[in-house]
Amino acid sequence: MRRAVPALAAAALTLASAAAAQADAPRFVEEAAAAGVAQVHDGPWEHFVGGGVAVFDCDGDRRPDLFIAGGANPAQLFVNRAAAGGPLRFEARGTGLPERLMRGVVGAYPIDIDSDGWRDLVVLRVGPDAILKGGPDCAFTDATRAFGLDGGRAWTTAFAAAWEAGATHPTLAFGGYVDRAAPGAPWRACHDGLLFRPETEAEGEADAGAPRYGPPQALTPGYCALSMLFTDWAGDGALSLRVSNDRQYHIDGAEQLWRVEPGRPARAYSVAEGWRRLSVWGMGIAEADLDGDGRPEYALTSMGDTRIQKLTGDGFGPEYEDVAWDMGATAHRPYAGGDTRPSTGWHAQFEDVDNDGRLDLFIAKGNVEAMPDFAAYDPDNLLMGGFDGRFTEAGAAAGLALPTRGRGAAVVDMNMDGMLDVVVINRGGPAGLFRNLGTPRTEDAGFAPLGNWLKIALRQPGANRDAVGALVQARIGDDVVTRRVQVGGGHASGRLGWVHLGLGTAPRAELRVRWPDGAWSHAWRLTANGHALIERGAESARQWLPPTE
Amino acid sequence: MRTLPAPLALALVLALGAAAAAALEPWEEGTVGRPMPFAEARAMPPEALAARGAALFAARFTEAEGAGRPLATQADTPTRRRRPAAQAFQRLSGPDANSCAGCHNQPQVGGAGDFAANAFTAEGARNAEFDVLDPQFSSERGTTHLFGAGLIELLAREMTAQLRTARDAALARARATGAPVVARLSAKGVAFGRLVAHPDGSIDAAGVEGVDADLVIRPFGQKGVVGTLRRFTVTALNAHHGMQAAERFGARWTGSDDFDGDGAADELLAGDVSALVAFQATLPPPSPEPPEHPEWRARAARGEAGFAAMGCAACHVPALPLESLRFTDPGPYEGAGTLRAGDVAAPVTLDLAALAWVARLPRDAEGRALVPLWGDLRRHMMVDAQVSGFGGELLSQGFVGRDVFITAELWGVGDTAPYGHRGDMTTLDAAIRAHGGDARSARDAYVDAGDAARADVVAFLKALKVAP
Repeated sequence: MRRAVPALAAAALTLASAAAAQADAPRFVEEAAAAGVAQVHDGPWEHFVGGGVAVFDCDGDRRPDLFIAGGANPAQLFVNRAAAGGPLRFEARGTGLPERLMRGVVGAYPIDIDSDGWRDLVVLRVGPDAILKGGPDCAFTDATRAFGLDGGRAWTTAFAAAWEAGATHPTLAFGGYVDRAAPGAPWRACHDGLLFRPETEAEGEADAGAPRYGPPQALTPGYCALSMLFTDWAGDGALSLRVSNDRQYHIDGAEQLWRVEPGRPARAYSVAEGWRRLSVWGMGIAEADLDGDGRPEYALTSMGDTRIQKLTGDGFGPEYEDVAWDMGATAHRPYAGGDTRPSTGWHAQFEDVDNDGRLDLFIAKGNVEAMPDFAAYDPDNLLMGGFDGRFTEAGAAAGLALPTRGRGAAVVDMNMDGMLDVVVINRGGPAGLFRNLGTPRTEDAGFAPLGNWLKIALRQPGANRDAVGALVQARIGDDVVTRRVQVGGGHASGRLGWVHLGLGTAPRAELRVRWPDGAWSHAWRLTANGHALIERGAESARQWLPPTE
Repeated sequence: MRTLPAPLALALVLALGAAAAAALEPWEEGTVGRPMPFAEARAMPPEALAARGAALFAARFTEAEGAGRPLATQADTPTRRRRPAAQAFQRLSGPDANSCAGCHNQPQVGGAGDFAANAFTAEGARNAEFDVLDPQFSSERGTTHLFGAGLIELLAREMTAQLRTARDAALARARATGAPVVARLSAKGVAFGRLVAHPDGSIDAAGVEGVDADLVIRPFGQKGVVGTLRRFTVTALNAHHGMQAAERFGARWTGSDDFDGDGAADELLAGDVSALVAFQATLPPPSPEPPEHPEWRARAARGEAGFAAMGCAACHVPALPLESLRFTDPGPYEGAGTLRAGDVAAPVTLDLAALAWVARLPRDAEGRALVPLWGDLRRHMMVDAQVSGFGGELLSQGFVGRDVFITAELWGVGDTAPYGHRGDMTTLDAAIRAHGGDARSARDAYVDAGDAARADVVAFLKALKVAP
């Protein structure tokens, strides 16, 4: 029996692994209506894009609540009432804000701008953007003007934020879509991106909580951004802003990477520095260190091929190659329904959906409206990361192959059982809430639990309490898995809260954090299958248990 | 189930085991036969399942059946080696035994082992062979006996449930009242410190003692880091024999049905592991009788009283009460990589109450079986500045401190020399004198007690035999 595996057998093994990956993929059940979430993102041309969701805890119970854009319909807030491991359950809650502010919403990102312990919401709109300052029990006030932010009148479709070195408040980046007032619009007429930096306060004058934002730097040229992300592409702690642009309205447009150095204007990386021109219908970005080399890979969703960009060359410049094909992750046409036309990808997010220790990739899919050259039936993807470094599509087996037009989304554990659920915002149809049931059992109709897991909530004193920019690193046996706390990316959809790690079969993990200022923590030793609260400087992590009813 | 005379029982075990293994003729090389799915194990009569387990426990696994792990380390989490192992067997990084019974055989199969049968705990990193040579990555362990292991696991499950009930009640009260609630943790009379439940749902477990912060009693291993016979079995099969159970090393968790690269796919299925668990869980506990020799009997009686008076019985608790004798496999507190209750429609259920040896267990006033384990299933600090006989390990196994160990159950200690975690203490007297830390006052009382009293304690311990 002991003999070398011939090539054909090896190929069969790969196929067997792919089949196994689909068989073991988690199953989801759609529960939006039963859960009390009724929201439709819709509207005219301006709302063909967007349709995002912000996922964050607004009432302090540590369960993720949802703020869902509606386009021409008012955005809505849903407060999480799910018991641990139970069906998804939400309660619609009025924001108390003027309806004019809740209409025209493209997407939203949660972030605690003033570090008061309550997450605020940056709301992207067709028209003036807004900052909603969060307070106890999901109370929000419009703080746009109070924070000195000019919400503008643009059509805003992308956002990212990060704390620059030593800053008390975050730098905010906004990406604009088509400038409808520009000559020649909609072709070659895109809003510039805008970079807002907090003004430096004089000693003694500063209000520790309230920021002041001055006039923004225009990130020129703008190429109709649909997603952006602050990233540390080189793994050296320096910030850059990666922008994914839609070539549909700017045929000369291309992906952009802006170098953002403290005290200096942001500037675009050039070809001379290694940045290669890449022109796609950029819709969403997700970042993850897939190969554990300390430098992130990026998934870019588009019409047709999804790209996965990996740093190449000598590593000194931002030079990338596309490895999506090698990894089985192009997802370029629908995997179900028989439509062979190219697919249209939007929100992208790397997470470990089956808790096997390998990152998976979720992509929300859907035709822009009725584009004839692209698939009409275009279901969302669930690409399961395999042990061979490749992805295998499991959307159909997972129960995600639906005739919806997905846009923004979030992969997040909504019932606090350690298994990631999915919320997808659909254009022209109800938002979907998919509860992760586990993997089907072979011997009956029940579901088996997934792999071991950990969920981590970070907290640090002073500014940037949620530790945006921190790197969470878990050692699991010989493997090291990482997650970065980010505000940005996806498609018009942000999330802030628990960091989820799949541990596979490991019963324990050793966890370290590189805090946003670059300081590494000591190691915390955690047993699997629980929530841990990590305060910067604390000797031990504190457990958290979700409500059981 | 009834207890049969030993020779008859052995014959039955071998016959049933051979029948269950099936498909192998006596002249063929091999022992396992066709790997057994879980559903088959569940459908088997418990006696037959345990017999199949006994056969597997004694089996000398062959290469064709999957013995050896050229491309995998001994780690409990599937880990690939950097390069293929040079030898099929390797005393340090393993595989270090051809069968379970190769080490667990004193005074009979299922028992303890001599120093020659020591094993090494290591994380099993990719530098597997190098690491186990260095004490900062490896700790040497003596082979312990498994008699009464099913009762131990049942006690641990009940204690876990008790501790978690106290935690959950404190948390519910904290959430309801909006004020922190302190819960003192105790299970079966054993104290595990305290925790503070906060209204926001968080738990401050800094005051929890002797158990992991998740309050799961893990009774197995010298450090108390393995919760179940099933988990231990799956880990040991890989570490010691290179026999990889599909429930951890199969395609679901590794992407391959031959993770160790030895050419054998899915070497053991969940039914095989259940058989091994059934065998171990139904092993009768040590059942000492008072020694026949009158002087020994008198000394043992005095020694038992002295053992209590010196404070030894504070940790080496004579007996713990057990509510239920129903052993389900998988158990309720299993993690991924070992078959879990949720992985199957229904578990294997072994009603230990049907076993004849259970009748010999004493009962308390509430009718609960008293398990005479002479332990508390709790971890303790075993070292202090002056006495460190049980310390000095550099490896923090399973995140448990270097000098912290779970109380060794003393039932059967009279038959299982040598003693200590490394099995390197030739006398009980030496082992007692090595106790420091939490056991220091009891140890000092023993040392100060005088020759006669010490000899009585040793006489008592030597009477704690596996079988009369």
